[in-house]
Amino acid sequence: MFQSFRLSMTWVHTWFGLVLGYVLMVAFFFGSLSVFDREIDRWTIPETRFPAQPMPSFDAMLKPIFERLQPEEEELEEARARVGGPLPDAKPVMNWSVYTTHRDPVLELYAEFAITNNPKDPDDHVHGHATIDPRSGRLLPNDPLKVGSEFFYPMHYSLHLEWMELGYWIVGFAALVMLAALVSGVVMHRRIFRELFTFRPKKQEQRSVLDLHNLTGVVALPFHFVFALSGLTIFAGVYLPVDETMLKPQAQAHAMQEAKARGLAFRPAGVPAPLASVDAMVAEAKRRWAARGMPGEVGFLWVHHVGDANSYVSIYRAGSDRVTLVGQAVHFAGPTGRVIFEEPPPTAVSGINDFLTGLHLQHFRHWLLRWFYVLGGLAGCACIATGFIFFVEKRKRQHAAQGVSGARWVDAMAVTTVTGMLIAALAILVANRVLPAGLAHRGEWEKAAFWGAWLLAFAHALWRTSPVRQARLAPAWAEQCWAITTLGVAAVLLNWITTGDHLLRTIGNRYWPVAGVDLFILASAALAALAAAKLVRRGREVPAAVASGEDSPTGDVEPAAPQAARVAS
Amino acid sequence: MAISLPVVSRVAASLLGGYAFVWGFVTLGIMLLLAAGMPYEEAQTLLYLLAFLVFLACFLWAFAATSLARVWAVLAGGGAAMTLAAWLLSRAVQ
Repeated sequence: MFQSFRLSMTWVHTWFGLVLGYVLMVAFFFGSLSVFDREIDRWTIPETRFPAQPMPSFDAMLKPIFERLQPEEEELEEARARVGGPLPDAKPVMNWSVYTTHRDPVLELYAEFAITNNPKDPDDHVHGHATIDPRSGRLLPNDPLKVGSEFFYPMHYSLHLEWMELGYWIVGFAALVMLAALVSGVVMHRRIFRELFTFRPKKQEQRSVLDLHNLTGVVALPFHFVFALSGLTIFAGVYLPVDETMLKPQAQAHAMQEAKARGLAFRPAGVPAPLASVDAMVAEAKRRWAARGMPGEVGFLWVHHVGDANSYVSIYRAGSDRVTLVGQAVHFAGPTGRVIFEEPPPTAVSGINDFLTGLHLQHFRHWLLRWFYVLGGLAGCACIATGFIFFVEKRKRQHAAQGVSGARWVDAMAVTTVTGMLIAALAILVANRVLPAGLAHRGEWEKAAFWGAWLLAFAHALWRTSPVRQARLAPAWAEQCWAITTLGVAAVLLNWITTGDHLLRTIGNRYWPVAGVDLFILASAALAALAAAKLVRRGREVPAAVASGEDSPTGDVEPAAPQAARVAS
Repeated sequence: MAISLPVVSRVAASLLGGYAFVWGFVTLGIMLLLAAGMPYEEAQTLLYLLAFLVFLACFLWAFAATSLARVWAVLAGGGAAMTLAAWLLSRAVQ
C-alpha cells in the first residue's frame, strides 16, 4: 500500500491526526485549564472566594454533618426504577468520605447508602453529598456548577459523553493517535534537532506554519508522550476491563485475600458499634507519617461500614509535597481506634505507576511547575492547530482548481475547534456572571450557554470559510478572534461588576485564584485581538500575492532546504 | 488517497486487530505472572503500564508492514491465541 516506511508514517500522521486532532485539541485545551480547575471554581462561585483550608475536626464538625446527610433525590428516583418499586425507609449508610487538597477552600462530604431490596444487585447503593465552609461548618448550596472541576475537567477526559463511556473511548483513541502522531512525526522529519531552532515567521505562511508545528511538537515531545501514555494507563481499567470480565475470579479472590491479610473487613458484621474518636486516629496517622520522614496533612479520609462492628477508618496523606501519588494510608478499627494496618512503601511496579499517575494529576504544590503544565498543554494545542492550518494551506489551491471542498470543510472544523472552543469556554464564564442568582437549574443554563455558543461558532465557521474554496483566507478566523476578545473583556468586566473583585483589588489582596483567571482571560483576549488584526491585514495582502504567482505549492515533508541550513548541518 | 477496501481493512486491522492483540497480551501476561507467584494487583499494574506501548507498536506496524494478510494474522490471530491461552490458564489456576 505504501512505497516506503516513511510514506506509511506520513499517511498515519496526516489522516489520523486530521480526524482525531479535533478531539485532541479539546483534551489538551481543557486539560490545560484543569491544572487550575479549583481556581476557576473560585471565579465562578464568588461565595467561596477565601483561602484554602486544612481538614477540620472530624469529631466536632464533620461527624454531625455526615449524620444528617441524605441521599440525592435524583439518585433515589433512578434506584426506584432499578428496583421496579418503592425503596425501604431504612437506607443504611455504607461509608463516609471527605477529600481536600491544598487548593480547596470548601470541603466536600460524600456518603453511600445501601439499597437493600434489589435482588439483582446486592451491592446496589445511592450517593449523598454536601459542600461546607470548613471554617464554620456552614452548609453551602450544592447547586452551583463548579465550572472548573465539574465541567472543564471531565470535558478533558470524557467529553461529557457518559453514554456507554463513549467519551472515554473517544479520548482514549485520540491519546493512542497522539502517541502514534509523535512517533510518526519524528520518522517524517529526520532533522529533529534542528526543528527545535527553526522558526521562520516571515516566510510564506505554509512554511512558517510547518516550522511552528514542528517546533511545538518537538519542544514538548516528552511531555506530550508521557501525558498521552499516562492518561491511557489511568483509565486502563475502562479500556481493558479484565477485572470485570475474563479475570473476574482472580481479581475478586485477590481483593478478598488482600482485605483478609490486612485485617480490613470486606463486609459489615451486622452488629452495631459506635465510632471512636477519628481526630485521635488522624493524630496517630500524622505521627506515623512523620516517623517515616514524610510529615503531612490529611488529603482523604474514608469511614467504611459506618456504625458497624467491622467499621474501619482509612486515612490518606495529601500529596502536596511530591509528584508521585502516594496515599501512605493508615487504617484504624472504627470501634476502638486501634491501628489495623499501615500501608507499606509501594513496590517497584506500583511506584512507577504512582509516579506516572501523580505526574499526570499534579496534586503537588508548585506553582511554577503548574504553569509549565499549562504551557505544555497549550503548546500541544498550537501543534494541533498548526497541523490543521498546514493541511489546509497545502491543499486549498489544488482543491480550488479541482473544484472540491475538502480544504474548506477542514478549515471550518479547525475554526470550530480552535477559536470556537475558546468562545464556548468564555461563554460559560460570561453566562455564569449574568444569569440571575436564584435561577432554577442555573448550572444547566450555564452548560447550555457553553454548547450553544460552540454550536453558533460551528455554524459561523461553516458559513465564513467559503472563500477557502477560491483558495483565499477564511474570514471566520479573524471574526471569531474578535468574538474571543469581546467575550474575554466582558467576562472580566462582569466579574468586577457582579462581585466587586477588580484586578487592582485581587492583586492588591494577593488573591491569585481570581486575579490569575482574570489575567489569563485578558491575555487571551489581547492575543486574539492581535491575531485578528494580523489576519485582517493578511486577508487584504494575500489575493495580490496569489495573482502575481508568488505562492507556489510545496511538498509534504521538507521542501528543498535553504542553502544556509544545508551548510549548517 | 481515496478510501478503498485495502485502506479500510488496514485501518480496521490497526484498531480492532491491535485491540485484540493487546487484550490477549494483557490477559496472558497477568495469568503468567500470577502463575509465577506475583500478586494479581501488581501483575495487572505492570501489564497496564505496558499495554498501550504494545498497542502503539501494533498500530504503527499495521501501516508499516507490506503484507496486509500478515497484519491480520499476527494481530487478530495472535490476539485470539493469547486470549485463549489466558482463558485456559485462568481455569487451571483458579
